[in-house]
Parts: sequence; structure tokens; C-alpha cells
Amino acid sequence: MELDQLEMNQTLQESQPEGKTIPYLTALIGWSLPAIEACDKLNRPFVVVGPPDFKEYAEKHDITFVGWEFDRLNEGSDKLYKQLKALGAEVAVPLYEECVEWAGALNSRFREEPRLFNRSLLLRDKGMMKRKAQMAGIKVGVFEEARDKEDVKRFLKRVNEALLKVDGDKYEPIHCKPLDKAGSVGHRAIDDPADIEALTDTDFPLLMESHLDGQEFSCEVFVHKGKIQFLNITEYVKLGYSNFVPPSPSLEAKRPIIRKAIEQLIEAFEIENGVIHPEYFVMPDGTLHFGEVAARVPGGHIFDLIERAYGFSAYEAQILCSDPNTTEEELREFFPAEDEARGYAGCLMVHPHVNFIEELNIPEELENHELFEKHDMFTPPQGKVAERVGFGNHYGTIFFFGDDSAEMTRLLVDYEKYDFYL
Amino acid sequence: MPSEVTEGKIARFSRFLTRLEDAPSYAKSRYQTDVYQEANRLLETEEGLEVLYQYAHRFDDAGVFQDGPWEDASKLQPPLVAGSLQAKGLPYVIEMLSDLRMLAIADGKANHPKVSQEMAMDFLNEVMALNLDLLFPDASEASRIEKKENTVEAQRLFRFISQYLSSSALSETLIHEIERLTAQRPITVKRTVSMIRMAKEMLKTETSDTQRNVLEKYIASVEGASELSSANPLPNDYRKQLMALSTEELRKESEALGVSMRNTGLCSPQHSVLARFLSRKSPHLLPILLQLTGKGKANLEEHAELVHQLIKVALFPSTCQSVYGLALLLERGVLSASPVMPGLRRLIELDIRPEVRSALFKTVGEGEGLTANSILLAGVISVLGQPLGVGQGLNPTCQAARGISLWAQHAPGYLLEIIPRAARDGDIDMVFEGIHIHSKDLHGGLAPDLHPELDPVSLVLVPHLDRIYSEMMSRVALRGEDGHRWVNPAFYGDWVQKGFSTVIEPITGSVTDYPGFVRLFYATHHPEYNDDYELIYPNPVGIFITNVHGKMLGFHAVSIQRIAKSPDGEYRVYFYNPNNDGSQNWGQGIESTVMDQGELPGESSLPFDEFTSRLYAFHYNPYEQGDAYAVESENVSNVKSMALESWGQEYTWISK
Repeated sequence: MELDQLEMNQTLQESQPEGKTIPYLTALIGWSLPAIEACDKLNRPFVVVGPPDFKEYAEKHDITFVGWEFDRLNEGSDKLYKQLKALGAEVAVPLYEECVEWAGALNSRFREEPRLFNRSLLLRDKGMMKRKAQMAGIKVGVFEEARDKEDVKRFLKRVNEALLKVDGDKYEPIHCKPLDKAGSVGHRAIDDPADIEALTDTDFPLLMESHLDGQEFSCEVFVHKGKIQFLNITEYVKLGYSNFVPPSPSLEAKRPIIRKAIEQLIEAFEIENGVIHPEYFVMPDGTLHFGEVAARVPGGHIFDLIERAYGFSAYEAQILCSDPNTTEEELREFFPAEDEARGYAGCLMVHPHVNFIEELNIPEELENHELFEKHDMFTPPQGKVAERVGFGNHYGTIFFFGDDSAEMTRLLVDYEKYDFYL
Repeated sequence: MPSEVTEGKIARFSRFLTRLEDAPSYAKSRYQTDVYQEANRLLETEEGLEVLYQYAHRFDDAGVFQDGPWEDASKLQPPLVAGSLQAKGLPYVIEMLSDLRMLAIADGKANHPKVSQEMAMDFLNEVMALNLDLLFPDASEASRIEKKENTVEAQRLFRFISQYLSSSALSETLIHEIERLTAQRPITVKRTVSMIRMAKEMLKTETSDTQRNVLEKYIASVEGASELSSANPLPNDYRKQLMALSTEELRKESEALGVSMRNTGLCSPQHSVLARFLSRKSPHLLPILLQLTGKGKANLEEHAELVHQLIKVALFPSTCQSVYGLALLLERGVLSASPVMPGLRRLIELDIRPEVRSALFKTVGEGEGLTANSILLAGVISVLGQPLGVGQGLNPTCQAARGISLWAQHAPGYLLEIIPRAARDGDIDMVFEGIHIHSKDLHGGLAPDLHPELDPVSLVLVPHLDRIYSEMMSRVALRGEDGHRWVNPAFYGDWVQKGFSTVIEPITGSVTDYPGFVRLFYATHHPEYNDDYELIYPNPVGIFITNVHGKMLGFHAVSIQRIAKSPDGEYRVYFYNPNNDGSQNWGQGIESTVMDQGELPGESSLPFDEFTSRLYAFHYNPYEQGDAYAVESENVSNVKSMALESWGQEYTWISK
């Protein structure tokens, strides 16, 4: 500790020559080129806190960089805080799931508000998150935390008992997911007690929930001082494969009740600044069911889609909203009206349906379709296909843009089944 | 499905390139993919290439190659281009763009801080010369059979680039390549011959008269070096024509073919037809066809009967290259060594095993009517005539190749002993520290699947030698010292000296007392410090192979043949490198040469200090040491810094 402080003092002296005021730095927590570029475009000086592997790249391109391992549980957050403070950092912006509590911890130090850290933890434990939502009167499914396989067996049985299943009926699935992973990483649906045996000790503790039917969508909400600055709604065509922004007219019509639900969520979770990315289900009766919420850059290229549809950079928006000192005027000037989208922007994430790729096959009709914008696929030099983790590591993405949300949906549904890789 | 070039595509490419150009340097990777995608669409047509080329001068500054292997144009290597072009997906696209960038520099449209217009031109010329099969697709049978990825696109690119290159510069590069290959006088000439065949296409373009003469000379050497032979490419026609010649005409014909063969080291099928004809009808003209000197003539006269037998059994159109081998064999006087004659005769009637037989048959075309014994015997003639022409081909079997070469030079009797053992018995045995090792009992080795593009002797021997060498090495693996110390003398024979020194301390894997190692090498090998002891037998040494940037790639086995002053008066190490391509760039300006520095055919050479800097193990005679202390410290530290900055990066140094 003493050694640490010694080091800190040295850093302090180095980076803060006498008579010079500390610059107001934004600390980007996580390595993300679009976020770096956004910060640069906003003319905000910044420092990147990222995995040490990126140090060389950062140095090559003159990016102020602090190497940090987010995964490792460590007591060094104080050191990180001091190091950033010495550089002049005042705001921390989380970019990835595992960065959220780090940004929370840093912001609570920057602003001397210890509770900020606890709020960020709320977003990192799916069990706590659900409970909090439930206590605030938000509609959620039935859920429980499990510590071992017995817990899972009991939960599966009880949920299906409640659904009045009798012996021989097919069980309704329950969903199991790790408490602290992004989106669908580690998610599995279980409808057969035999599947439970496949779980291993490393999968626990986990969160179990009953299955929710209905159309799923997500919101990307830019919040400043507890108020919604911009509410984007992303329609999921198929979770993890395809989505588009803004949603089709039927979902768009629900914007008022969605906004209400978000306000309720913001209040319950005491969210003040930044971006949140909650997921909901529209139930057959038109009401909303809360799934979960994250406070980071969403997956599925949603930020890119927002930029394409609305013409503003969602990364810039996130950074602006994360800073309590951003002014009302700045924000008003920045965000367009929510009904002023230039068109529908969608994407299809492609994962090979084969285990070994011989070649890439992009149909001419797709390339020539008026909604087709671009794709980023090449034949991979290594033919073997990697196993999919969550909905991540897709092989490529196809981007669409146009005026017709029905046609967009049709394309996304049809091409999801297409064999782009042979 | 080549798609058309449309205004839309051009506009999109242009827009994406501009966006990449505008992106800050750290964020280039975000915008590169879109550029590659649109480029990929344009690369499909000639028109598209033209469009891309209009933008090529902007590629470097825009950051098209930034943070990837193609980033620094000055570090690109022509031999790697073909591989990238044949790769799937992205590497192919970037390679194409990189070549267009190089063309823009060569064409004076773009400036590069490290690559001048001439350098870019040289680069492209070399790429073309190395890939003539792509430039002239019909000329190569092999490229048609081995279907490769992106061939059509690569061909289109090469045609496009070639429009901008002067065909005379390309011819120049090509001639240089051929000269370099032939200077080494390899036994296997497939690659040389296919290059020459393609060089024929160059004659259709504009070339200078000198170049035309040189190219014609090479073409003639493989297709007929006289009027009569070039007019009668079919052996049978040629043979009929020969019968009609007068003795004087026959003498002239022999002279023409003989001179060409000795100049290039290459033979045409007609050489074998003529050799057979002379052997039967006019044996007195054989020395003219073989262009023998006094010694060779004497040898021929002494062993006339055996030579006629060898010609009859071994020299056929598809083994014609052994005519050259026979000439050199006679010059070397190998037949005078007592075990050689019976050894060769034994091969004629040897009962060859079926698997060896079929491997041998694969080296010649079908329907030639040859016996496996003929092929093997022709191979033996070549190896005995050109011991330094033995190559390892595409196999990691440098030790085996080095052994064959060494025995062919100094122990032909032994070589003729193990060949029948392998071909007839499927076994070779060696004694290692009192234990008999039989190759037939061993598995594995470095090359379990031998690449078959080898000379017949290597085809027969390498599988056995490779396994025995590996077995010996594994028997000494745990001794805490470099196993080559014991294995080399046991494997190669008593020609290898018992003294042994190595750079790497095998237990810790670190470099200890490097200056001592360098001094010992100078004191035992450098004529100015070693009391004038001459190297008598090739010394099998181990070297670090480094790439153009001096980065270590691995270990390699070569043999020091001799150490002598070059024509310029500097001491050079002349060595045998079993790689088929002896002139290589090892970084730090260290480029081994194969000609013009006093090399004998088949030798590579390097200045003494540069060679030393890549050395990791050598043998020496402990009784023939000179004055290690007399070696200038400056020489030692110079060698050390070359070592330290190249392969030395991979090791811990605990030496002074």
C-alpha cells in the first residue's frame, strides 16, 4: 500500500506540473474503438482503462491508457482511482458488462457518492436486479437463485406444477443464466430434468426464471439526471440474430407505455446518468414484462443501427449523458426527436450452419435488394467454425436500411435460415 | 459470379475509402472492412481493377494496410505474394490491394518514404518472375492440374500489372532467376525447366537482343541445342535423323549439345538419344558430347565398357539429366574407386522392392518403358557426378540430404552399399555406441510423409536415414548436452571430427560464453588463426535460420565445404545448403550467394563473420586448434552483435 502511494505520488508529480489545472478527463472503462472515436469527436480529453493487451496499440496511437484486468477480483480499485484522479479524470463510462461495477466504483469516488457503487452492483447481479424490480412493483416472471442442481430440479418441477402440468405433459422450459454475464452468455433453456445433469459446478450460482412468451424488444435509454433524454426502441426479430431500429408501427404505438415502464425502472434503480439497455416482453394482453437491464453498450450492433436511423452517434450520446456536468442545452441540441428517424436500420448476424466452412455464398438477390446496405463477411482462412458463446462471436453481419419495416422483417426472417457459409 | 462494375460500386468504394482516410489513426480498423468489401466486388473484373488502381496511390496514407502484415511496404517479400493470393478471403483481398499500391509506387503515382520507384519496380518484377505460371497460365501443366484458390483473379491482376512493367525488366529478372538456379547445378531441375518453358512466352514480348539470346540459350538447352535437335523434338525422329549424319556432322552435333549442357547444367531428351547413339555407333565422339577434359577422357577410356553399359541401362529421354551427371562423374574419377564399379553393376540387376519401384516410377512419365533399375541407376549417376546437387526438396530432412551429399563426395562405396540395402531389403542399419539400429524397426522420423519431388537416390534413402537420425537423437536426448556431438560422427561416419562446440546450453536453453564459442570457431576454421589446417572433409554444422528481418525461424543443417578467399580477397565460408534454393536473405544484410563470389556449382557462400553469426554448433579437430586469443575482439563483438540482434532475441544470454 505504501509502495502504491509512493508510485501514485510520483505519477501525480509527473502528470501535474505546477501551476497547471487538472484537465477534465473522461475515463472510458473498457477498450472500444468507437467509444474512443466518439470521445475524440466530442473534443473531450479522455483516458482508456482497458485490458493490458491493448497497451502497445494505445502507445502506438498516442492514446492515454491505463492497463487493467477487470475479471480479476482485486483490492486495487483505490490504486486505479488515484491513478485516474491524478491524470485528471472526473467521469467514468462503462462500455462492457464486466466494466459496469468498476465504473460505478470510480464514479462514486469521483463524485463522493458511495451509493453509486451499490447501484452499479444492482445491475451486475441478475438475482438482485429481479428482486429489486419486483419490489418496485415491476412485472417480472417467477425467478429464484440456484446454488446446485437440486435447486434447479425443484424449481423446474414447481413452475410446471403451477402451470398444472400432469405426468406425461411436456414441461414448459425454465431459463438458467449466470448472475453476472452479458445478455445471453451462458444462457440455457431447460425443459427436461435430464438436462440439469449437464450443468457443472462452475455454472453455479445461477438465476432461474420461468419462460416468458411474447414479442421481445430492448430499449436504449439515454438518461441524464434521472430524466430520459432519448428513448430508442429496438425490435428483436430473432433474439441474438436480427433486430432493427426504430420498431415497426405496431410496437412503436406502444411507445407511451414503454416510456412509462422505463420511468418506473429508472426510479426503482435510481439511475441518474448514462445509458441503460433493458429488455422487455410484450405479453399477449399488451402489458409489458421486464426481462433484465444492463448499463453498457448493447450488443447486436444496436448503437450502429441507432446512428444509421437517427443520425447521431449513440456512443457520443452515452458519453454526454454519463457526465452530470453536461448542460441541458448541449443535450437538447444533440438529440433529434424520437419520431424523426430517417428510415429503418436493421442487421442480421450470421453464424454458420456448418461445422467446416468451404466457401462464402452471398446471393445476388441479396446484394441487389434495395434494402441491402453492406455486409462484412469474407471466407475465413480457417475453415473450422468456433463454438458460439452466448450470442456473441457471430461470423459476420449484414446491414439493411430502408422505409419498409415489413420488408425488413421479411428479409431478416428469410435470410436467417440462409446458408451463407457452405 | 463476377459482378459488373457499376457507378454505385465505384461511389461506395470511394466513399468508404474517404471515410477511412478521415478516420483517426487508432480507429482505422473500424473502417477497413468496408473498403475491403467494396474492393472485393471490384476485383472481380479488369475494369474494376482499373478503377481500384485509380485510387491506389491513396491506399497507404488512408490506412488501408495499417496495423496488419501488409502495413510496411518496404518489408514485403515477393516469394510470399503467391501464397497470400491463393489464401481464402481477406488475405487475398489485401494482397491484391497491396500489389496495386506497389504498382502505383512503381508507376510514379505514389510516393513512399521507404520504397523508391525502382524498389517497387524490382519487387513487382520479381513477383512476376516467380509466378510466371499465373502470367502465362497455359504454359504450365502443373498449375492446371493443381487447382488453386483465386487463380483466375490472380491471373487477371498479374496481366493488369504486367501492362505497366517493361517486359525487358521482367526478362532481366527472369534471366537472373534462371541463372541463379542453374548456377547451383541441382540434380532435380523440374522447377528450372518449367521456368524456362515459361520464358518462351517472354520471347513473344519486346525484349532486348541480349536478353533474347540468353533466353534462347536456355530454351535451347532443354529443347534442343542444335538445329537438328530443336527441329526434331520427338526422340524417335531425332534418332532417325542421327543415322543419316556423316561423322563430321555427328561431331558437330555432339559438340553443340555438349557445350550447351556444360554451360547450363541442363539436358534435353536429345542428349540421351545422342549419347546412346554414340555409345553404339561412334564411341570416339562420346568425349565430345560430354565435353570431357583430360582426366575425364582418361577415366572414360579406362572404364569404357562399364560406361557403355551405364549409358545403355540408364540414359533415356526421361532420365536425360543424368547425361550431365555422367560427364561430371567421369571428371571426378569416381569410377576409379574400387568399390564403385561392382557397386554400380549390382544396381543393374538389383531386385527392387515393389514400394520402392512404384516410388521410382512416379518420377518419370507414364509409358516410357523404363525399368525401376534404370531410374535408380540414372539417379546414382547424377548423385555421384553432382554431390552438391542433392536437395531436400520440400521435406524437413536436411540431415539426410547432407549425408547423401557427403558420402557421394568421399565415400561412394558406402553410398553404393546402403542404396541396395534400402531398395532391396527395405532396411538400413547403423551402429550407434555399440547398438545396432535398424530403420525397418523404426517409425516416424521428421518426414513420415515424404514429399516425392526428389532425386531417385534421395527417394530411396531419405525415409531410412531420416528415421535413423531421429532415433539416434532421441537416444541421447536426456544427456544434458547437444546430441549432435555424438550423433553426427556416428551417422555420417569418421569424417566428422570429434571435437564439438555449441552456443546453447541445452539444460537451461541459454547462451553461455558466446565470445568463447566465436573464438574457437575462428581458431579452428579461419585460415589466419588456425595454423593453416585445411578443411578436408565437409563439416556438418548447425545454423540458426533467420528471416529477412533477422527473426529466428528455426534450425537448419548445412555442411562447410571449404573456407577460402573470394575473388575480392575476403575470407568466405563456402558451404553446402541442402535447401533447393541456396541464395537466401537472412536479414541484417546477410545474403548468402550462389555465384560470382568464387562458389563452385552447388556451393553457397557468406563472409566468414556473417556465417559465424548464424552458427550454433560445429565440429572441430581438437588437435588442430590455432590461436583463439589472437582473434581481434572487434571481430568477436561484431559477430556477437549480429547474433544478439537476430536469433539471440529468442534466448537468455548469460555470457559476457
